[in-house]
Amino acid sequence: MENSQCTVVDAKAAFTTAREKALIEAAQSGDKQAYHQIYDAYVGRVHALSYRLTGDHALAEDATQEVFIQLWRKLGNYNHKSKFSTWLHSVTANITVSYMRKQRGWFQRMFNIEGSAAEQFHAEASTGEVDLESYIVRLPERARMVFVLHAIEGYRHEEIASMLNMAVGSSKAQFHRAKQLLKEWMGYDND
Amino acid sequence: MTNFDQELQQKLDALPRNKAPNRDLWRGIELGMEQPADEAVKPASRGGLYAIAASIALVACLSWFGFNRMPVTPSGQLTGTELVQALSQQHEQQKQSLLVQYTDTPALTENWQAQLTELDQAANAIKAALNEDPDNTALLRMLQNVYQQQIALIERVHAPKWQQI
Repeated sequence: MENSQCTVVDAKAAFTTAREKALIEAAQSGDKQAYHQIYDAYVGRVHALSYRLTGDHALAEDATQEVFIQLWRKLGNYNHKSKFSTWLHSVTANITVSYMRKQRGWFQRMFNIEGSAAEQFHAEASTGEVDLESYIVRLPERARMVFVLHAIEGYRHEEIASMLNMAVGSSKAQFHRAKQLLKEWMGYDND
Repeated sequence: MTNFDQELQQKLDALPRNKAPNRDLWRGIELGMEQPADEAVKPASRGGLYAIAASIALVACLSWFGFNRMPVTPSGQLTGTELVQALSQQHEQQKQSLLVQYTDTPALTENWQAQLTELDQAANAIKAALNEDPDNTALLRMLQNVYQQQIALIERVHAPKWQQI
């Protein structure tokens, strides 16, 4: 019985993989309809990562568009050696980080006020059911990006440091800062 | 592992993998796909050259006014306030001209006007500061920088320069 269940699951996975491979190959050949199907399948994942990185709905949607436009141009670089979703996450993280550098609000860039939102949130933090997503997007920008890339996406601090153009020590410090803020907001400040 | 670490890990594991955008992004993506990368880069490169030229002109202007003309002179030469007015007037004309030029061109992002407004607010804040300290060359540079960002924003959303992966 167990064996037959495994076979069904394996067959489904194989079918999905084969279908995805066919769609990617069609899109690589210029088939826009196939690419639209890839978009439909992955837009939620790309947008989720972009939203967590940017902490802003409008920026995340713009970054998602940017990802899929560049992906169309660079799809030929994908060689099927790694999982498509893994490659797409890497592309999404890089493009979103790059996009944020260009699109960040003028005041934030000039006056570096990234901490203010977090401080304000501290005052508003409430007890009750913890919504981690809403806490993450309220983290200060650099702490949020490091936290998302390390804790959710599984990047090493060396990779994050290179991606965000910061020292490895800074990446670790920002991760610690993010965890401390989350700890406080989740009601563990007296631990 | 502390209680916090355990709870955090549980929450992380439970985070949804997907989050649908609030609007349809495909139309903008299709438009971007239709634009060849080479063609998209050219206008932006020209924009870059204009920006460099504008920066050089600004530095020359600021140096001239900063070192020679900033103090109010009895001979009626330009004061800092007059320079701000001239810069603002010139920028407004350039901005309006671009907006008219791109009236029928679809923008690839929907929040660009909000960004434009944010930059307007920044410019107003700097102009208010310049009102108090009209000869402050650092503030003048900041104002020019904001104006350049507005022009770049309008050009970018209508003729985007796609980044490289």
